[in-house]
Amino acid sequence: MTSNILISNIARFAFYLGLQIILFRSLVLFNVSFCFIYLGALLALPKEVSHTYLILISFLSGLVVDAFYNTMGMHAAACTIIGYLRPYVLLLITPQRGYEEKSDFSIKSMGFIWFVTYAGILVLIHHFFIFFLELGSFSLFFTTLLKIVCSFLFTIFMIIIFQYFRKK
Amino acid sequence: MNELFLFISRSRAFILFAILEIFALWCVYRFNNYGSAILFNTTSSLIAKSVKTQNSIIRYTKLNDINENLARENMRLNAQIAQLQNTISKDSSNLNLDSAFIGRYTLEYAEAINFTTNQRNNFITINKGSNDGIQPNMAVISATGVIGKVKMCSANMSLVTSILHSENLVSSKIKKTGKLGSVKWDGLNPREVELLYIDLYETIQKGDTIVTSDINSVFPGNIMVGRVKSVKKGQQFLNITLNLSTDFRNLSYVYVVKNSLKEEQNSLESTISNTKK
Repeated sequence: MTSNILISNIARFAFYLGLQIILFRSLVLFNVSFCFIYLGALLALPKEVSHTYLILISFLSGLVVDAFYNTMGMHAAACTIIGYLRPYVLLLITPQRGYEEKSDFSIKSMGFIWFVTYAGILVLIHHFFIFFLELGSFSLFFTTLLKIVCSFLFTIFMIIIFQYFRKK
Repeated sequence: MNELFLFISRSRAFILFAILEIFALWCVYRFNNYGSAILFNTTSSLIAKSVKTQNSIIRYTKLNDINENLARENMRLNAQIAQLQNTISKDSSNLNLDSAFIGRYTLEYAEAINFTTNQRNNFITINKGSNDGIQPNMAVISATGVIGKVKMCSANMSLVTSILHSENLVSSKIKKTGKLGSVKWDGLNPREVELLYIDLYETIQKGDTIVTSDINSVFPGNIMVGRVKSVKKGQQFLNITLNLSTDFRNLSYVYVVKNSLKEEQNSLESTISNTKK
């Protein structure tokens, strides 16, 4: 990995995590709709990053969010899962011409539909895990389901919007 | 042996994943059940500092509200003092109170620098810690009512379990009749809680005041919890919904209650439970 890509990735992580902590931590719509925008940084990690590093980076970014949310490992657990599952999801939705060596996972290079499927699967896994772990049981099942759906829509929407803010 | 190393190197991603996942879940479990935090949280110094800065900016925009609340509290307290002085001067002859008992509660004021209301389990971070004599399980109240209890302390910060937490039950009573029940949050609306274990034949009306009970192990008695919003008949008990007297989305100053007789009470109670065994 060239140092240029490395720096841009670190900058992206700092940006998304900062956004999550400063802005989206206090922005919850109608008490049910959370936005975990920091997942955008995990989704955008380049394909060259090895599987072990991917898991480690996911875990660490989850840890940072945990520290500010007082959730003690829930985000870390959920992020580790999507870090582990990402290569398998990528295999599952391989586009017809395959991935290029230096694929960059964005709407611009992979197309809108591909990106939404890719982000959708991983964000949904993350949200399911986070909200049911927070609940600790299946007692408030439908409320939690509502939370998951609303948060999923909000997060995906914000991730897509931020895709269009990227440098050309 | 060689094959073992080969296996490890081949499935290193999965092994790393399993280790981190188990570690994270273990941290969640430890914190939920024993209150010991292994990972960082908002009481850790660096994170507390950034949360504090953020809060000080937001607080600036709320100063009007905060001032008004403080003025209102002053007014209420002054009225209470006048009333009490009146009663004391009337019959000061038979006033003979145990000073240890009267002075057992002291308050320590703190700022709520970080709080949530939308999660299933909500916490509040306050800017006083063990250096200021704060310990786990102390009660936290505000001018308007109960807030929660201290879960853990660092040197200068404490994490408070708010009433809006799935496992935080507060022993309460109906002020008018003195009937005991428990207040619990159902996890839906941060302005409402439920009052449990009130028998079907009890008379309770909309607007009745609910306060903390005197047999409470955490809170001092007669601290405001909320007012009855609706009463429905359940199978065994009444289903009572309360409007919380405190708006948790607008917390600013809170008081930590130090109970000087708490240790004495605890040690006394533990000897009883020991002799039972």
